[in-house]
Amino acid sequence: MNKKIIVILIVAIILMNGCALKENTNVLNVLNWSSYIPDAVIRDFEEETGIIVNYGTYSSNEECLAKVQSAKEGTYDLIFPSDYMIELMIKRDLIQKMDLSQLANLGNINPNYLGLSYDKNNEYSIPFIAASVVIAVNRDMVKDDVTTYQDLLAKEYRNNIVMLDDQRIVIGMALLALGYDMNETDPLKLTEARDWLLELKPNIKAYDSDSPKTFLISRETALGVIWNAEAALAVQENPNIEIIIPDEGFAISIDNFAIPKNAKHVENAYRFIDYILRDDIMVKIIEDYPYKNVNKKAEDSLPESYLKNHAANIDDAVFHRGSFVENIGEDIVHYDKLWAEIK
Amino acid sequence: MKQYDSKFKWLILFPIVFYCLFLIVLPLLYIFIISFFQNDYYGGIIQVFTIKNYIQILDIVYLKVFLQSFLIAFITTIICICIAYPFSLFVSEKKSRYKSIFLMLVIIPFLTNSLIRTYGWIVLLRKEGLINTLLFQLHLIDEPLALMYNSLGIIIGMVYTLLPFMILPVYSAVDKLDRSMLEASSDLGASKWQRFIHVIIPETLPGLFNGSLMVFIPAIGYFFISDLLGGGKLMLLGNLIKNQFLVARNWPFGASVSIVLIIITFFLVKLYKKTGGKMDDLGGF
Amino acid sequence: MKKKKFLKNLFIGLVLFFLYLPILVLVLYSFNTSKLNILFEGFTLKWYLVLLENRSLLEALGNTLFVAVTSTLVSTIIGTISAIALKKYRFFGRSVLNELLYIPIVIPEIVLGIALLSIYTFFHIELGLHTLILSHIAFSLPFVVVSVRSVLNSLDPHLEEASSDLGASPIKTFFHITLPAVMPGVISGALLAFTLSLDDVVISYFTAGPGSNTLPLKIYSMIKTGITPDVNALSSLILLVVITILTLSTVIKIRQSGKEKAYE
Repeated sequence: MNKKIIVILIVAIILMNGCALKENTNVLNVLNWSSYIPDAVIRDFEEETGIIVNYGTYSSNEECLAKVQSAKEGTYDLIFPSDYMIELMIKRDLIQKMDLSQLANLGNINPNYLGLSYDKNNEYSIPFIAASVVIAVNRDMVKDDVTTYQDLLAKEYRNNIVMLDDQRIVIGMALLALGYDMNETDPLKLTEARDWLLELKPNIKAYDSDSPKTFLISRETALGVIWNAEAALAVQENPNIEIIIPDEGFAISIDNFAIPKNAKHVENAYRFIDYILRDDIMVKIIEDYPYKNVNKKAEDSLPESYLKNHAANIDDAVFHRGSFVENIGEDIVHYDKLWAEIK
Repeated sequence: MKQYDSKFKWLILFPIVFYCLFLIVLPLLYIFIISFFQNDYYGGIIQVFTIKNYIQILDIVYLKVFLQSFLIAFITTIICICIAYPFSLFVSEKKSRYKSIFLMLVIIPFLTNSLIRTYGWIVLLRKEGLINTLLFQLHLIDEPLALMYNSLGIIIGMVYTLLPFMILPVYSAVDKLDRSMLEASSDLGASKWQRFIHVIIPETLPGLFNGSLMVFIPAIGYFFISDLLGGGKLMLLGNLIKNQFLVARNWPFGASVSIVLIIITFFLVKLYKKTGGKMDDLGGF
Repeated sequence: MKKKKFLKNLFIGLVLFFLYLPILVLVLYSFNTSKLNILFEGFTLKWYLVLLENRSLLEALGNTLFVAVTSTLVSTIIGTISAIALKKYRFFGRSVLNELLYIPIVIPEIVLGIALLSIYTFFHIELGLHTLILSHIAFSLPFVVVSVRSVLNSLDPHLEEASSDLGASPIKTFFHITLPAVMPGVISGALLAFTLSLDDVVISYFTAGPGSNTLPLKIYSMIKTGITPDVNALSSLILLVVITILTLSTVIKIRQSGKEKAYE
């Protein structure tokens, strides 16, 4: 009697196994930033095309790189690296050339964001969205003027700042605060940056790249150095949160679609990219995650709430004052070590 | 017949040998080997021998991470002992029916998702969370207490998640105590404290060490608790290894930290065996 | 004396309160009308309905159960056979094998996680459900071996001999004599393997691939990016299932022991 049950169980498991492990050809393995594309958009895409989207996430460009490198080639079909990471991935032969003719909606993109220095002819990447780092201040909790990174050092902000968990952005911020270039590699200047960050450390409550808005909305912290869309969402919840563009400069970033080398579902990746490039879909994404829009056709139908929100709709003139993170080659080890020292 | 038996023997031993080779020996050996390789600055492994990775561990920055981790794990272990020991003693005095009910009550939370329970702590501990709100409404505090996003939060989370690993071995040791022996010692005029120190503690020591090992070692590696309750500010060994593998792309360095961790673990296990602990007790709850 | 007893009970109560506090909070908030887990605003059951629509969460639950059942089954079968074989046979490398089996039990999970990840990368094995199952077998199999062995050690060693003396084949002896005798060890080993698999975060974190998200991993990323009360609802349901099963088994146990006493 018992034996029968065991045999039935084993057979059932093997059958289940067979079903689950059967290579489903109509899938798309996406590796994307957390909090970036609403679930609803992905569901709609699945319904429209019958393609099943497997979705994984990362919190920094470095994590994206590590995941793509450590997984077997062909594991992911579509990734969303930023500018400098595109350049690096091209050099490392990790992403493949794109066939732009597959993308009917390519014309929707604002030409200002095409042909940028990291991929001059857009052979490997198509811009998806742009972002910039801002300071967010809850005016219910902070009355003083905050206009610079230096202002964040004030003693009264003890344990009151949420900071992006991203070494290039945070160390870059310290360098900017000291009046240096954001991509400085001179060891002496980096030591100064370390000391500056150690001085700031008591004021930092948490490092978080995934959802720093939660800290501001739940009043866990009064200040944040975060991406503009996160700030914009915090402003939606609490209009007393103010957005400050730091005087010393700030990091900007353009995230792109890219297809890893030897991806197995390239056709599906193109369909997904083309779907996202549609203006109505882009508007849906922007409504949920209000980053800076690079889709020209979508501009006309952007909601009022987005256009009015200064954190979301970063002005072009302001945006161009920011600087990109750049590849610094082997000097990255100094950044790695510095990061371990300040955390 | 003999030959048949020998063939049969190897047939049934094959899966376990295969398992040990491919899921234990090979992975750990591979980690050991790459810990002596160099890394190129963006993620590759260069197959050139070096001990640079081990020297790098001696850097004050990383020694600090070791120290922090061990300190947090140590405090967690001590707190777990302080809770589990009296708890087990008191429960073991109960009638056997209540004993099994209490033990079941300890195991139930352990069977629900540990992350969701950690999330429960976030709801409780955050600045405008339940505890601070309650204390504020009772006028016990004017300023919210900093209960999480610091080492206190990490320790609460660790103690909470690992407490059952302490309670179960300690309880089984305490429950096995020979009641008649205890009574004999008290008949001989031993005071309560004498009895506790000279009889109860030595008898339950292996259980205590067992629990300490099962708490201390995971506490070093549970990166998700320091991530969620510590605000990413305090780097523990678990976070360091995770970062080397998934963010900083320096696998050789991450591997060397792991090897050091394995050596420390083996050392602790040796200590455990020396105090009379049995290896089989570690896996059985 | 009374006061002392009260203090002891109070201590037991406090420990249990500590263990159940976060769970109570989650269950409470699964009935909360507000989406934010901050204030309790009113009673609702809507999150239990929302849960049914949350495909990615249910998918993660499905993956978790699938991985847990498969890895438990495999490690229980292999673990049981191996424990018996390791006890019965003398062969070259036996003691090494025995020692090796303790490694996954004692080393930090994170070390096993990265070691498995590295070896998958080395052999160009694509990450997915199969690597997840393999990794779960890796850490749960030794627990089964240990659990079965503890029962084996208390058995009468002449039992098997008697059976084979009577002319039973090794397979027959195994199924009719040894297996029934070690069944309690097999069951508790399997339960332990199942529990460890269901709740594993660390090793899964390194060895899961696209499309093989498990519930712990899904909840981990949800906590980071914003959790919705349907997760509370799911956890409450899981808790309900666990409590029901445990209560039933305890009731059965108590009844059985009652019956045994009656026979005596």
